[in-house]
Formats: sequence, C-alpha cells, structure tokens
Amino acid sequence: MRRPRTNRAAATAAVVLMLASTSARSSGQGDRVTDRPGTERAKLRAQRPHAFYFTRGIYSGWSRFGRRGGGSWATDWPKSDRTFLTVLQRLTNVDAFPEEHGVLLDDPELRRFPFLYILEVGRMGLTPGEAKGLRLYMLNGGFVMVDDFWGSYEWANFEEQMRAVLPEYPIEEIPLDHEIFRTFYQIDEIIQVPQIGNAMTGRTWEQDGYVPHVRGIFDDKRRLMMVINWNTDLGDAWEWAESPYYPVPYSTYAFKVGVNTVIYAMSH
Amino acid sequence: MPGSIFEFLFKYRPLVFREGRLTFESPVALALLVPAIVLLSAIAVWTYRRVGGKATPGDRLVLSIIRVATLAIIAFSLLRPALLVSNVVPQQNYVGILVDDSRSMRITDNGDAPRSAFVGQEFGAESELIRRLEDRFQLRYFRFSSNSERVTDLAGLDYTGSRTRIAPALDRVREELAPVPLSGLVVITDGADNAAAGLTETLLALKAAQVPVYTVGLGRERYDRDIELSRVSTPRQVLKGASLVVDLLVSQSGFAGETVNVVVEDEGAIVGSQEVKLPADGEPVPVRVHFTADQAGPRRFTFRVPAQTGELVLENNEQDALIDVRDNTIKILYFEGEPRFEVKFIRRAIEEEKNLQLVLLQRTAESKFWRAAIDSPQELEHGFPRTREELFRYQALILGTVEASVFTHEQMRMMADFVSERGGGLLTLGGRHSYAQGGYAGTPLADALPVEIETSYGTDTTFFDSLRVTPTRAGLANPVAQIAPTEDASAKAWEKLPRLTTPNPLGSLKPGATALLVGKGDHLGDQPVLAWQRFGRGLAVALGVQDTWLWQMVPPLEDMTHETFWRQMLRWLVSSTPDQVTVTLPADRAAPGEAVRLIAEVDDAAFLRVNNSAVIAHVTRADGTVEDVPLDWTIEQDGEYQGAFTPPSTGLYRIDVEATTPAGPLKARPAFISIEESRSEYFGSQLNKSLLQRIARETGGRFYTPATVRTLPEDLSITGRGSTIVEEKELWDMPVLLLLVLSLMAAEWLFRRQKGLA
Repeated sequence: MRRPRTNRAAATAAVVLMLASTSARSSGQGDRVTDRPGTERAKLRAQRPHAFYFTRGIYSGWSRFGRRGGGSWATDWPKSDRTFLTVLQRLTNVDAFPEEHGVLLDDPELRRFPFLYILEVGRMGLTPGEAKGLRLYMLNGGFVMVDDFWGSYEWANFEEQMRAVLPEYPIEEIPLDHEIFRTFYQIDEIIQVPQIGNAMTGRTWEQDGYVPHVRGIFDDKRRLMMVINWNTDLGDAWEWAESPYYPVPYSTYAFKVGVNTVIYAMSH
Repeated sequence: MPGSIFEFLFKYRPLVFREGRLTFESPVALALLVPAIVLLSAIAVWTYRRVGGKATPGDRLVLSIIRVATLAIIAFSLLRPALLVSNVVPQQNYVGILVDDSRSMRITDNGDAPRSAFVGQEFGAESELIRRLEDRFQLRYFRFSSNSERVTDLAGLDYTGSRTRIAPALDRVREELAPVPLSGLVVITDGADNAAAGLTETLLALKAAQVPVYTVGLGRERYDRDIELSRVSTPRQVLKGASLVVDLLVSQSGFAGETVNVVVEDEGAIVGSQEVKLPADGEPVPVRVHFTADQAGPRRFTFRVPAQTGELVLENNEQDALIDVRDNTIKILYFEGEPRFEVKFIRRAIEEEKNLQLVLLQRTAESKFWRAAIDSPQELEHGFPRTREELFRYQALILGTVEASVFTHEQMRMMADFVSERGGGLLTLGGRHSYAQGGYAGTPLADALPVEIETSYGTDTTFFDSLRVTPTRAGLANPVAQIAPTEDASAKAWEKLPRLTTPNPLGSLKPGATALLVGKGDHLGDQPVLAWQRFGRGLAVALGVQDTWLWQMVPPLEDMTHETFWRQMLRWLVSSTPDQVTVTLPADRAAPGEAVRLIAEVDDAAFLRVNNSAVIAHVTRADGTVEDVPLDWTIEQDGEYQGAFTPPSTGLYRIDVEATTPAGPLKARPAFISIEESRSEYFGSQLNKSLLQRIARETGGRFYTPATVRTLPEDLSITGRGSTIVEEKELWDMPVLLLLVLSLMAAEWLFRRQKGLA
C-alpha cells in the first residue's frame, strides 16, 4: 500500500532540513576547480571511483558589465552542490561522490561524467571548443541539467548559445506526464523556486520571468539530452535549505526535482 | 612389366608362391639323393685341390663354390620341386560382385570418361574378365549406394545414389550369400564412403566367416585442381539480427598460394565474405566467417568458394545450412541494486533490438524500486521474483551490483536453478556490492558462476583497479567480442578502447569455464573480465567490470563498440535458452525415404519435467499435406518424448509439436528440416585407397586398380574360399634354374680364362 504523498512530503522536508543544516555546518569553500595534490579533495578523488559525480560544467561567460570572465558557472558553488549531494545520498542509494566537482566544457575528460549541471546560462558565452565539447558530450549520451536563469533576455542568450551547440534539435516544453516527473517522486506541478533574496520578500520572479518552465532538448530517438529549468532557481533552494529565512516548501520541491533528474539521467 | 618378368623366370605369379606350399616330388628317395649329391660335391672339391699349376688356394675355392652351386641347382631340379596350391572347384563356388552406383562414380577424373565407364568396360556382360570369372564361379551382382540390392546385371546402373555406405552393403551381401560356398566378394568403388556406420565390425564379421574381399579402386587419389569446403558448423536457430561466427575448412590441390574468397549467402543475397590465402597442396586451412542473420524464418545460408579455373569437381565448392531465424521476443530481467550509468547505457544499446525486452527492476532507495519495460502493473510489483514460476518466465537474468543479503536463501537457490534447470542465461556485473564485495562467497549462486569468488580482499569496498581489457583467443572466436567486421579489425579495435575499472578482483576460472576477455591492471595481474561456463542446462557469464558505459561516452561518436558489445552479449546469453516444449531434430536435413527421429522435451511452468503427457507432432510437408506423428515418453529420461516420420518427397518440412499437460496445452516453436538428396557424394570423392586396401588386407583379399584387375579371376581361384581342390604346380622346369646353371658354367669358364687356368 502506498503511503499518502502528504506524509512522504512532510517526511522528506524534515529530512531535508536536518541534513541541510548538517551540510551547512560542514561545508566550506575548499578548492574550487582542480584537485591540487595533497589536498583533501585530491585524496578523495584518488579513492575508488563513484557511480555518480554531480559535475558542474565550467564555461566561459560574460560579466554583468559585458566583459568576458566572471564566475557565473560557480554561482552557489560549492554549498549548493554539497547540500544536494548529502540529501541525495540520504534519500536514495546512489553511490555519489560527496563533494563538488567541476570540469571544463572543452576538457575531453568531461565525457567520463555523464551528468552535468550548468546554471546562470543567461550570461553564458561558449567558445567554439566549449560548444563542440558540449555537443559531443550530449550526442554521446551525456545528460545536462540547466538551472537558474530568468527572463526573456537571458533566455534569448541561452537559446543563441544552444544554436551553436545543437542547431538541429529544437527546445521543447516537457509535459508533466513525462517520466522525469515520476522517476522517484511524483511531481504534479511546476513550482517557481526563488533565490533567497526574493524568497524573503515573498516574490518569486526575477526580471520578466514570471512563469516557471521545464523545457528540454530531445535527440532523434526522443531521448531527453538536456532539461532546462527556466525562471526558477533550484540551486539556491538547495544552498539555503537549512536557513530559517528560506521557505522549506521551495527546498523540498527543489530536492525532489533534483533527485528525479539524477535518477532519470542515470537510467534513461 | 616387373610382374611379367617374374612370371617368365619363375613360371608363375608371386601370388602363387605366396599362397602355395613348397614340396618335393622326387621318385628317388631323399635319403638316397641327398648323400649322393653331397658325395659328388666332395669329389669336385677334392679334384680341385689336387690341381697344380697356377691355381692359388683362393682360385680353387671360387671354382669349388661355382661347381657346388651348379650341382645344387641340378640337384634341386632332380628333387622335382612343386607348389601345392588350393584352387577353387570350377562352378562350385560363388562370387558376389558389388558395384558402387553413387554419384561420385560419375566424376570424370580419368581422361574424359567417368569412373563408371570402367564398370561397363571390364565388368560388362561380354567382357573377357567376366567370361574368365564365369568359367570358374557362379556370379551374383549387387549395386550399392545409400542402400544395397541384388541386380541381374550391371547394365541398368544409373549412378544416382546420394551416399556411399560400404559397410552395410558388405553386411547385407555376406548375409545373403551365407548359405552358399562363397569364394569372395568383389567391390568396385572409389571408396568415398560417407556413411556414419563404422567398418570395423563389418570386417571382423567377414574375417570370421572367411570371406575375402577384393576391392577395385577407381578414380584418382588427388585431383590436379580442386577446392573443397567442409566442416561447416552453424547453430540450428538464432534470434533475428544475431551476429554469427562460423568456422569451416577449405581443402585444395593445385591452388597453393592463391587467394580465394569464401562467400556467405542468405537465400542468394551475400551477407558476408572472408578472403583466404591457400596454403600448400593438400593442407587444409581453417576459415572464420562473420555475418548477421537479418531475415526471419527458416533461412538457407550457403557458404561458397566461387568456381576456379580448371576445377574438376564444382559441387564440393559449397555447403549450406538451414538456420531458423526467430523473430520472437525474449524477456530478460535486469535487477540493479542502485542507480548507475551502466543501466542507462545498456538500455540505450539495445533499445532498437525489437526481439529483446529488457525488463528493469532498479532499486533506487532502501525499499524503493523503479520498474521499466514491464508487461503489466502487476509484474514485479513485490520486487524480485519470489517463485520459480515468476522467475522462470524470463529467458535470462542480469544481476547488477546487489548485495547477497537482499535475497532469501530460497531466492538464491532459485537463481542457481534458473540456470541449471530452467536453462536460462545468467550475467553478473561488477560493482561495489558484487561478487565477494557483495557477500556471494559460499552461496548457491557462487556455484553457478564461472569464476571462483575471490575472498582475499574480504568485503573491502575501497579497493579498485583500472584494467586494460583485451580479448583472449576464445574471445576472438566468440560473437560477443567481435566489435568490428573482421577478426583483425576487432583485435585492433580492442586496443583503442578506454580502460575500465573494477572493485572486484575475480578469482580463477573454474574447470570447464572459458575466459573471453581478460584485464591487466595497475594492482591486479591478468584476471578474467568476461568468463562463461555451462551450468546444467544454462549459461552463466561473469563480467568483472562496472563501467562499460565508458566505451560509449569516451570514444568518438561514430564508434559503435558499446552497442555492438551489449547487443551481442544479450543475444548470446539467450541463444540456447529452452522453452517449456522444445523439439530436437538430428540434423537440418535428411534424404527422402530416410527416417527422421524427433525428440521433444516437455516442462511445466517451473521447468520441472513432465511425464505421461500426450505429445503429438504435426509434420507439414512442402506440398502442404500434414502428417500427425505421436511422440511417446522414452521412460529413461524424464520429460523426453520421441517419435519418427519418413519424408516421402523433397522440400522444406515444418514440425509443430503440441503437448497436453495437466496444467493445460503447450506448444513448441516450429522446427524445420530440409528434405533433399544428399550432396555429400561430391565431398571427399577422391579415391580412398587406404580404406579399400584396409578392407582387402583385413579380410584376406587383395586391392586392385584398373591397371591390375586383369589377374582377378586367377587370384580369386587361388586365394578364394569355398570348395577347393589342391593343385600341384611343378617348379623343376622354371627357366630361372636353367639360366642359373648356364650362368654358373659361363662364370667358371670366364674365371679360368682370366686366371689362365683354361
């Protein structure tokens, strides 16, 4: 007999809060990208390979002032990743590498990590090498989760970047009956998840991004290669899950979406 | 010529001396004659001693020897030597003449005339040989090929027999002529025997009955220019789209060093080919061909070397095989203990395989499962199957990284029985909860695995190694490791693949297991990566790595290694999984009029054998008529039923078997057999001289060629059995004796002249 969803949602929320707070105390900036020899991260990486790495795609981008550079790809890094991983390992039996993990999009090693998370793509400006790397990554079977970009202006930039990566595949709306919404949790509605600043004011939208969308890019066999969470900020919800100022329902929802996405990416 | 010279000198042929017994017929008693000869010899020697003059003692010795030798020869003649030879009584004995009237007798390897022309020429009704035989014997004629029968004469033979079976023919004739005095049997054939029956018992029976066999060998032992394809062995049924690797043998003479193509055709369409360089004449070369069975149904695959210039026999350039390419869906259960990318990429690799249904039971949390490709919401709703009936519905089981403690002992036992009794395929994958790390040592499942569970690392889950994976020799011959169109290309492709990791050091191979892939690591030495063994009725395969998905993600986009590997792996895994009712035929073909034996095995849903079931086979002939053949329980084997039918005409026959069991009716998938005239006569059709010589030698007969057969009647008279009389052949007047005496006298005269003693 299946337990009622409300009970499970409450239990999940409770676990999320508890674990997120634990993760918040133990997280730190640590090393950002490379595993310098002798560091704890390097030692961790040298241990047995894990089945899953929450890999951040490191891309070139534009700063708010239009200059190349900036740290868009590293938004919420690494707390968001670590918190999410802690919860993932508690709720599922995924054998996950417990720490943040970043790889350049034009690094051939990228293809050794079939799950990729990229965010703030409104300010993404891919080099030809990065575009090619991302293209080959997806066509070979890699899965990309896109998050945290808002409004029509940022959408236009993202769409332009994707035209350089996969011009032959359109971006489509993913219907609610798609399997990604039920691989682990049953998700019946798309909730707009605000960043922490807005969450405290009660406003969930940014720029002109009033309505959240879950879109995707499918290959010619209708296999989902990329899931695009637009007008929402799942990463912030993971990052601030333990904060008393951040509403728990948003974090709960964000973790559900994240877990579903990971399970889906590892099985489809 | 040498025989003629011997006969001129010694008056008779060597056979007469071999068969005869030497005796002396002198009218004077030996007791008087021998001393007289000795006395004369002594006088001769004494007279030479008294001779003076220039003669030295050596000269006298030589002269003495010559004189004594001359006297000895004269004495030998005076003793009236003779040979006593048993000779058959004319017209009192019988001789059976067996003529091979199979198709190989039509081969024209002696000028422009076929081998059968010799029969008409030398053994025709008006031939001198037959006349000489008829002077001595009562002749009885028989023809033989796949069967044998008596004929009145040899004029009506048409040489259309599809097989040559010498032993049964000899047995039949010996039995038929047992009541009469039989001098011997004459067998005229090329000796290209292709019967399954052995010859030894037949020869022993002939020897015991004292019936010599005189064999006349026709044809050449080796053709000047010929290529022959043989030993083609294919599976009887495969799944549609399966990749096949078939080994065959190419023999040849006259084409040493040349390169030919072995072509594979599927009902006329070329599906594969392989070039082969031919070695020295007479040396067979093994060839391996790769092809895919893409069309469903009973398909005739032909393996052929195109006819080369100057070839004598063209019919032996090809062999064909009937393979039932099945288009049914095979269900495979994949139980994975945790989400991992291996699941994703295996599912992707086979998603276009319409004949494979990979049912996935994926554990995503402690007590949470996700199911995919199920037929109904009830399938696997309680998790891993708990009953034999539930598990045995699948044809294969893939076990991912699942710790042994997940299963009850009964489930563990069931998985072992799934392989040994149900005949299912089992594939275990590497992972942090697999093999020793998963606690499988000492479990019933460990018995099924082809490798020992290595426990020296304990259940340490931090260990891992990175392996360079390469195929073994056995792997290169197995479709699973064929990741490129040819063997050479496949071997090179393996070298380019990325290394894989394993957390499971596998133990040694079990006896009877075979490694198809091995890996060499940074910490581990060579260890099996992919190994298999037969366990009972089924196939158990162990894969000792955890991330074959790297073969998809890392290589270039166009590389199809990962898909090819998994498609072929899963097809191979289910290739011999039986159904509840299975039908076995002895071969993919039979000749019209030859009985075909059917064997059916009947199991219940738990794959326990069912006895006392009503089993019937509906045999549909090529013309559509249906014959019902009841199959009876064999009693010796549980669940085994047998019957037979005799196809009257050629064509493709379909056999549908139905079994009525207590649980209800069951049907087997249809089986097919091609009824056709055998072409085996054209294979190995050279003169089999050693076989014919053996038959002659072991029965006390003789072997002849067309050049030496003229002496057959006399030889039969002397060496044959039956009613015989003893004949005396005098030797005193052998020309060789006169020649020897004259020679010795001439030698003495010459010696004397030389020494000045004349």
